[in-house]
Formats: sequence, C-alpha cells, structure tokens
Amino acid sequence: MKRIFANLLLMILAFTVQICIFPMLPFLSAAPNLLLILTFSFGFIHGSWAGMLYGLFAGFLSDLFYSGPFGFYMLIFVYIGYVNGIATKYYYEEYITLPLILCVLNELAYNMYMYVFRFLIRGKLNLLYYFREIMVPEIIFSVVTTLFIYRLFLFTSRMLEELEKRRDTTIV
Amino acid sequence: MEKKRSKYLLTSLTVICILLIGITSIKDGVMEPLRTGVGYILVPLQTGVNAVGKGIYTEIRDYSQLKSALAENERLKEEIARLTEENNRLLAGEFELDRLRSLYQLDQDYMEYEKIGARIIAKDSGDWFQVFRVNKGSADGVEVDDNVMAGGGLVGIVTDVGANYATVRSIIDDSSRVSAMAIQSGDNCIVAGDLTLFQEGRLRITNITKDGDVKDGDRIITSHISSKFLPGILIGYAADITVDPKRLTKSGYLIPVADFDNLQEVLIITGTKQIGDEALGEGAGS
Repeated sequence: MKRIFANLLLMILAFTVQICIFPMLPFLSAAPNLLLILTFSFGFIHGSWAGMLYGLFAGFLSDLFYSGPFGFYMLIFVYIGYVNGIATKYYYEEYITLPLILCVLNELAYNMYMYVFRFLIRGKLNLLYYFREIMVPEIIFSVVTTLFIYRLFLFTSRMLEELEKRRDTTIV
Repeated sequence: MEKKRSKYLLTSLTVICILLIGITSIKDGVMEPLRTGVGYILVPLQTGVNAVGKGIYTEIRDYSQLKSALAENERLKEEIARLTEENNRLLAGEFELDRLRSLYQLDQDYMEYEKIGARIIAKDSGDWFQVFRVNKGSADGVEVDDNVMAGGGLVGIVTDVGANYATVRSIIDDSSRVSAMAIQSGDNCIVAGDLTLFQEGRLRITNITKDGDVKDGDRIITSHISSKFLPGILIGYAADITVDPKRLTKSGYLIPVADFDNLQEVLIITGTKQIGDEALGEGAGS
C-alpha cells in the first residue's frame, strides 16, 4: 500500500517537474519525457501487470493536461507499460544497456504515435523534418536522463521493498 | 496464469480507452467535472513548483543581465524621447480620428475589450504541441474560446477551462487556424501555425486572393468574419508574400508580435465573440 502511494506521488512529482520546470528553462532545446521513462522502467522492473496500471495513471495525468479526446495518452502509456513488462524476464539489476535500448525504442514508438495520429491524419507528410527536429533531440535527452532516473528508481524501489519487509517481520 | 490475466487487462483497458476517445471526440464536455476536480489538487502544486523553479532561474538570470540592462536603459531613454515626439503627433491624429468617427457615427472601438492578467504555470515540455496552462479559470470569468494576448499581439485561444485553471492553445500550434485580414487593404487571409516553421519564429499566411494587395511588412489583424477571434487584434507582420503555383491565391509568412519564447504573463480577454448576423457564413475561424 505504501509502495503504491509512494509511486503515485513520484509520478505526480515527475509530471509537475516536466510541465512546470522544463519549459521554463530556455537553454533546454528539448526536454526528456519523464513520464515515459518512469512508465517503461516500472514495467520493465515489475512486469506487465504493474506496468499497465502505472501507464494508465501516467496517461491519465497527461490526458488531464491536454485538451482533446480523453484517453489518447492513456492508450499509448498502457501499451508501453505492457510491452516493456514482457521484457522483464531479461531484467537484471546492474544491467543498464537493455533499459537504454528500451528507452530509444519506446521514445520512437511514442513519437510515431503522436506523429501518425495528430499530424499524418491532417496530411502533414514531412516525416523526415519531424524526425530530425523533434524526435531525435527528445530521444537523446531521454536516454541521458534514463541513465540517472533508472538508477534512482531502482534504488528507491529497493529501499521501499526493504522497508516493507522489515515492517512485516516486526509484525510477525 | 499471470500472463493471461494481464492480457485480459490489456484488452479491457484498450477497449475502455478507445471508447473514451470516441465519446470525448463526439461530446467534448464529458470529462469536464473530472478535470476540474483534479485541477483543485494539481494546480496549487503546479503553481508552487513553478514559483520555486522560476525563482531560482530568475535569480541567476538577474545577475547576468544587469550589464545588458544598463546599456538597454540608455537606449530606452533615447527611445522614450522619440516616442514622446511620436505620441504627440499621433494624439493630434487621434483627435482628428475622433472627429471623423463621430462624423461617421462609428462608435465601436475595437481595442476596448475587458482583459484580465494571468500567469503561465505549465507548458507542454515536448515539441509536438504548443499548449500551456494559466492560473485563472472559470472562477475569474474565463470561458472556452476566450482570446489570449501578450506583448500587444494575439497569443492563442482558451480550449478548456477548470475552476482555477485554463488551457490555452497558442497560434503557433500546428492545428491552429486564425481568420485574419491585412489592415491596409482589408484582404482576408488565414494565419496557420506550422510546426516546421515554428523554430524560425514564423507562421503561415494562406488564402489571400490573387488580386489581394498584401505586401511584406503589412500589419495582419484578426478579421471581422472569424467566429472565435474578436476583430482588430494585431497578430503580426506579413513577410515573403508570393503567388501560389496554381496562381489563384497568394501565400506567405507571418512574423508574430508576441514573443513566444519568453511568455510568462498573458492577458485573457473575457467575453467571447457573440456571433451576430454578419458573422455567419464562414467556418475557418477556429
């Protein structure tokens, strides 16, 4: 229970930082997508089931912020949580290469989803431009951030786990 | 077993999401109570985080800008002298305008809209969309489709309102279309946001008739026939107007007046456009 609460809080915090602080820093030409990083790390570490629920919440927050059809972001985030949950069998704590590869793939999938459903259907065909100017910077920023966030995330989940274990033993 | 269960969950969540997308595409206001409810919790948090972040950033910036500010002060003093002179000249012109207006019994003055100030508390961090959120909402009299200005120019339009926040889509967003006209010639045109032009700080102007007399540097303002934008708000200046390959229309670029890179405070014009008889018969003003 405590862990769920802590994770929800972490997500709200990440969301707030992402939309309130990153855009105010004019020297950042692109910003990492923290919600995406958290969702796929969570799915990757804890499996599909948890990843989906976490993704649902991340999408819910995004949908609240953007006007437009409600559920647009929930859909993509749920899928990201699920698909990364499948990769959880290769999960090994000290192994950072796989999360980085996953990060690139997820960012690509997420941005293509945005492009196809918000731009391509309005007849904007210049994919190469969007790829170069928007997707690549965001991917690079996100990969660099993943290096830090993923470690931090591992650390906090391990700590929460230990906290929970210790409490269980005292009760018994 | 676990695998099967998560597959069921995935399917049901997918169905729910697609249903939601469908419902909200058709009927926009369904999620309004939920958005407002969550807004009560999230907006104060966002305002706080925003204030802290901005505080730190401004502190650092202030030091680095002191020097350039001094130089700018010199320059501005000269500018004031020039503007005072110009103002005197314009005042004389205004008297004449007043006299002529009363002569023509034109008593509406477009720029006298009621405005309230608002602070931007959140922006989309990705580059796909140009939307932001301000700290005034329906409690302050903001409504959907209210026009938003900054720095003397049009910035965007309110797309969705909660009790204490409003979401604004700026005119540089790729899906934005504003029905506009050139102030000198009165030719109508459409000002469209375009993501591929956004980094050059430009927008697209399209649909000027072939014979339209729009030249580079002309002032472009919102037109009378727009269904959502109030008339007479300055948008920007025309640039690089050329005749289209089909030779039926002209198009070009627009350099906006508002500075979209450093937006922090905006003015919201309360009171949406009331569509009277004369405003019917156009659909591109959204």
